[in-house]
Amino acid sequence: MADRERMFKKAMEVKYTQEFGTNQNKGGNITDKTAKYLRLGYTQSPRKVEMAAAGAAIAKKRGLAAYNPMMHCAGIPLGQRQLTPYTISGTDMVVEGDDLHYVNNAAMQQMWDDIRRSCLVGLDLAHETLEKRLGKEVTPETINHYLEVLNHAMPGAAIVQEHMVETHPALVDDCYVKVFTGDDELADEIDSQYVININKEFDKEQAAQIKASIGKTSWQAVHIPTIVSRTTDGAQTSRWMAMQVGMSFIAAYNMCAGEAAVADLAFSAKHAGLVSMSEMLPARRARGPNEPGGLSFGHMSDIVQASRVNKEDPCKVALEVVGAASMLYDQIWLGSYMSGGVGFTMYATAAYTNDILDDNLYYNADYINDKYKGAAKTGTDNKVKATIDVVKDIATESTIYGLENYEKYPTTLEDHFGGSQRATVLAAAAGCGVAIATGNGNAGLSAWYLSMYLHKEAHGRLGFFGYDLQDQCGATNVFSYQSDEGAPLELRGANYPIYAMNVGHQGGYSGVASATHSGRGDAFAVNPLIKLCFADDLMPFDFKKPRVEFGRGAMREFVPAGERTLVIPAK
Amino acid sequence: MAYKAQYYPGATSVAANRRKHMSGDLEKLREVSDEDLTACLGHRAAGSDYPSTHPPLAEMGEPACTVREAVTATPGAKAGDRVRYVQFADSMYNAPATPYFRSYHAAINYRGVDPGTLSGRQVVEARERDMEEVAKEQLETEMTCPGLAGLRGCTVHGHSCRLQEDGVMFDMLDRRRLENGTIIQDKDQVGVPIDRKVDLGKPMSEAEAAKRTTFYRVDNVAFKDDKEVVEWVHRVWELRTRYGFQPKN
Repeated sequence: MADRERMFKKAMEVKYTQEFGTNQNKGGNITDKTAKYLRLGYTQSPRKVEMAAAGAAIAKKRGLAAYNPMMHCAGIPLGQRQLTPYTISGTDMVVEGDDLHYVNNAAMQQMWDDIRRSCLVGLDLAHETLEKRLGKEVTPETINHYLEVLNHAMPGAAIVQEHMVETHPALVDDCYVKVFTGDDELADEIDSQYVININKEFDKEQAAQIKASIGKTSWQAVHIPTIVSRTTDGAQTSRWMAMQVGMSFIAAYNMCAGEAAVADLAFSAKHAGLVSMSEMLPARRARGPNEPGGLSFGHMSDIVQASRVNKEDPCKVALEVVGAASMLYDQIWLGSYMSGGVGFTMYATAAYTNDILDDNLYYNADYINDKYKGAAKTGTDNKVKATIDVVKDIATESTIYGLENYEKYPTTLEDHFGGSQRATVLAAAAGCGVAIATGNGNAGLSAWYLSMYLHKEAHGRLGFFGYDLQDQCGATNVFSYQSDEGAPLELRGANYPIYAMNVGHQGGYSGVASATHSGRGDAFAVNPLIKLCFADDLMPFDFKKPRVEFGRGAMREFVPAGERTLVIPAK
Repeated sequence: MAYKAQYYPGATSVAANRRKHMSGDLEKLREVSDEDLTACLGHRAAGSDYPSTHPPLAEMGEPACTVREAVTATPGAKAGDRVRYVQFADSMYNAPATPYFRSYHAAINYRGVDPGTLSGRQVVEARERDMEEVAKEQLETEMTCPGLAGLRGCTVHGHSCRLQEDGVMFDMLDRRRLENGTIIQDKDQVGVPIDRKVDLGKPMSEAEAAKRTTFYRVDNVAFKDDKEVVEWVHRVWELRTRYGFQPKN
């Protein structure tokens, strides 16, 4: 293929040929192999200067040492290289690296808060119990009344107890419940404020897919208060939901609070139809449901809503999933829950900044469309059969293109200064490309492992020892029939046996799972209920465009939920 | 017919260099004295005895054991040396060695070594005197260009960074630098100043590094042009993939 304008060119020029802060980084070319290393230290970065001043003030106030950048390397501070900014991929947003640490980024925190505080619970079993066991009439009017009661109660308000403390509404204003159903007639009869309207949120084809998948069932999408979820944990979400749902049914349907039949309702309304975002983990990892370790790549793909608004751009859909999932799995799950570290941010940012992965994937799409008759365009009858030869061809083309970019553009190599960053980006590009072309997630996964092999041989290096582990043995489990080894990619997740401990992979795998379906234009990857749960603009985090949201967080423009300013002294 | 190890496929200079590193058939290019090496490694004072972690094996009264009888202890193990490390960082701009080939070199040619392979660095752990033997060979031969590689225990970044304007790989801790045409090191692996300036020799010219490197680069020997290597990678991947797919089981 003819040489093409690289999508990362602008980001590399911003990063390496223009001054940012006081880094004196001016001139040169993004293809230069040499650079001036000015060793200006941390003061070249405005954010680090701000942080140093904050650290000094804290130390003075509390009389105890705090953040001091001169503690780095016994007095040789960060910034021996130029400290440079990051462009959020797919946007023009240029931000400081520090502001992509989730602690410094309210949008990143909110993304995880919004997932952790969400659950789904079916309405149909509850309605059946109400009608058959308790003799209550269920009509659209009673459902509307119940939902009004529930949206009062869910944030933590009383409904039948008379003398109770309650949560302040202004602290829990992000909490609410909506419903959705595949029954258009029922949806029309429920007050629109409560309804996630499938016909409005999805195009005609996707809406039809969703409705065919869920039938005429009806479900509640519950989002408990961020502040509650932050104080407790993911496993709390369904419990909080259950208590308020139970009490709301009792209140809305004028039930006796003590009769035995209520126990039947309690089970059917609160537990029987529960769908959590993620599964609980085995005891050795000790996390309940709705914690990131149990979140499958398929669910992650469905949580991100880019597929609703970028149907004709399957690459973008996958890239948004890569960004969101890299942040969650690498920065928050492995980076904090599992390791307690700081550095994991650097792994994740490689996948969603500076358009390097984007460039590789869009190159793949062009290559696939040229060679395989438009197989990378959205559709189901244009896919190429997933064979060893197809995987080999696309993965090799993709990986060599990406490797050569690092060789031709030394600034991209310096941006992805660790081999683990490069390995994830190259493998994700190859995997997503094959998944889009074939509509087969495990073919995409196979491409991932071939990319890793090619990368290792070409550069004589890959990631760090632990990183490489799964990539050197993974090819054998791609199509394994044995249940403890093989599974469709969409059903694998952060706790899949050999994926459980290694940074830098899970976001990429999620992207491949997503690409499998974005290439087909599917409404969802694995679970239509999860897709619908987040097809809702009331969520503080906009799941249609996670990368933009991360940029807004870094630029301090994002407004999160769950703040305590109402009940603490003003500063 | 006696088996002759082939080590690595490929028809290019990069593949040939990889075979050399793996086989240990290496050209010696420079001398680094034992004391200078000890100073650069930073594990003990130059000229001092090796600290030990246990008495010499001969004094320990080892139990009867067929494995112990079958495997001759290395000199470091016999003496009871501590396990210590040497770690190199190699630039991606045609440094002669790459992490995997340093590891293969150590694992194939030495006993009692524990090589660790990362993207920017490669560590070999072994009994101290055994480790020094590996380190000395790697430092003195064509495996290493002092301008494009460095002994780095920590803060190893540089392998993927653009080169300095003088052609030397960036070192955040400034452990070594170009002075009067040769590379001088005056800090140990972890950046603690040492009592001397160790002369590690002249850096290779760009042309020489390009000739000796084990790194495929599109502006030197492109990976895709070494057809046999690519074919072999495909073969390994395909066999592993097919092996995992066993519906008959």
